[in-house]
Amino acid sequence: MKNYLKLTNFELSRFFKLYVVLIGLTLVMQTVGIIWMSNTYMGSVEGLLLEGNTAELIKMNLGTFSFSTLTTSLLFSGPIIICIASLLIYVFLIWYRDWFGKNTFVYRLFMLPTARMNLFFAKATSIFLMVLGLVSLQLVFILIESQIAKLIVPTTYMESQNLNQIINGFDYMRVLYPTTLIEFLINYGIGFMAVFVIFTGILFERSFRLKGILFGILFAGISLFVFISPILLQVTILEGFFYPVELFILMVITGLIVIAGSVWISNYLLNKKIRV
Amino acid sequence: MIEVKDITKRFGRKKILNGVSFTANKGEITCLIGINGVGKTTILNAIMNLTPINRGEILIDGEKIRKESYERITFIPDAITMLPSMKISDAMQFMADFYQSWNQKRADEMIEFFKLDKNDRLSTLSKGNSAKVNMLLGLALDVDYLLMDEPFSGIDIFSREQIADVFTSHLVENRSVIITTHEISDIEHLIDKAVLLNDGVVLREFNAEEVRENEGKSIIDVMREVYQP
Repeated sequence: MKNYLKLTNFELSRFFKLYVVLIGLTLVMQTVGIIWMSNTYMGSVEGLLLEGNTAELIKMNLGTFSFSTLTTSLLFSGPIIICIASLLIYVFLIWYRDWFGKNTFVYRLFMLPTARMNLFFAKATSIFLMVLGLVSLQLVFILIESQIAKLIVPTTYMESQNLNQIINGFDYMRVLYPTTLIEFLINYGIGFMAVFVIFTGILFERSFRLKGILFGILFAGISLFVFISPILLQVTILEGFFYPVELFILMVITGLIVIAGSVWISNYLLNKKIRV
Repeated sequence: MIEVKDITKRFGRKKILNGVSFTANKGEITCLIGINGVGKTTILNAIMNLTPINRGEILIDGEKIRKESYERITFIPDAITMLPSMKISDAMQFMADFYQSWNQKRADEMIEFFKLDKNDRLSTLSKGNSAKVNMLLGLALDVDYLLMDEPFSGIDIFSREQIADVFTSHLVENRSVIITTHEISDIEHLIDKAVLLNDGVVLREFNAEEVRENEGKSIIDVMREVYQP
């Protein structure tokens, strides 16, 4: 356990610089976005006021300014997409850099007097913590940015929105910000399972090289099939036999089977088949 | 004792090792000798479970390697295995964090011995100093067995002499060493056992001291007999 924590801390510290860059990029781009959009809106308002329009008329023609306007712009969603893409790439990089860096660090990692699965879990935990960290920081950024918008746009023209309304108005963000514990477990559980399956695929490739890519793809395919098998049964053979709650329980079970399979195979590969 | 029993290793269709067997006894320096590509590094990797073998068995003190074994055996590859962004002190701290067998006193002693600066980054080190740090990270562990892969490879004569001095110092005393090197002359007089390999098989395994005394031959003489009959 101690070694697992040390390895997790080590993995996090290796990504720290890039992580800070991602956070900085998100904050800067979104802040620039909110300032620019608020000023543009206020420029239009002032123009209409000079033409003698009343505030009510302006709101009717121009609409009120809402934070959701910003969330649809590239300045807001761009850094989020960059963060997601970076983390997706990092899911692969977190293993491959140990083989292909200037110094082959994987030698050292595999010779540590600890179970090799600790490496697997430490890397997975790092990814999970980094995702949660970015998601949490984005919430803080939204609060800061909405305060900035309020400083620029008078309340007369501002549509009052709380955090929940902002998140609900943003399609793909709803996946990242579940509103119930069950939804959180489903969304992040599926994400965690996917990371485990990708890790196992990478270990297949690192064990068997070219053939391993095929094994990895095959494993990912089987995992997907097992996971969605309750839905497949429901819509094909059983034609709506299960109640939604039963279907949910079955999918939790198949998800756990996939995770257990992934852990078992990864443990086998790391101890018996992997090569440096 | 390290026992390598009849191991076979294939990479694709190519058989790199074909029934290799030898033993390395405690307190002895065993040298694996052979031209490039005969499987010397593969043997060391296999002993450390860094590459799987297709057949055979490797035992360390009668047991298969497991996580606890890495406190008793260490491998010093031919290149440093720490992150380039680390300082020497960071690399030492990493080892201290994970290994109970890390001996800080010995590590500090070696820093002095090799005249290294702990604050230097690994990425800025010369090849010679990288090799010294590599040695340091392995030798500062209180382990029974040391595996070294080409410790003299590509480094200048002065660094080579410093590294060779390690073998006559207390740093290696009472430990088992399995070493692969092309620079036999640097450490020939220190080698207890030689294992000559070719095409994935052991051509000859002999006690260097006995051959010296009984046949009046050096290891290089035997190599000439075996490889250039």
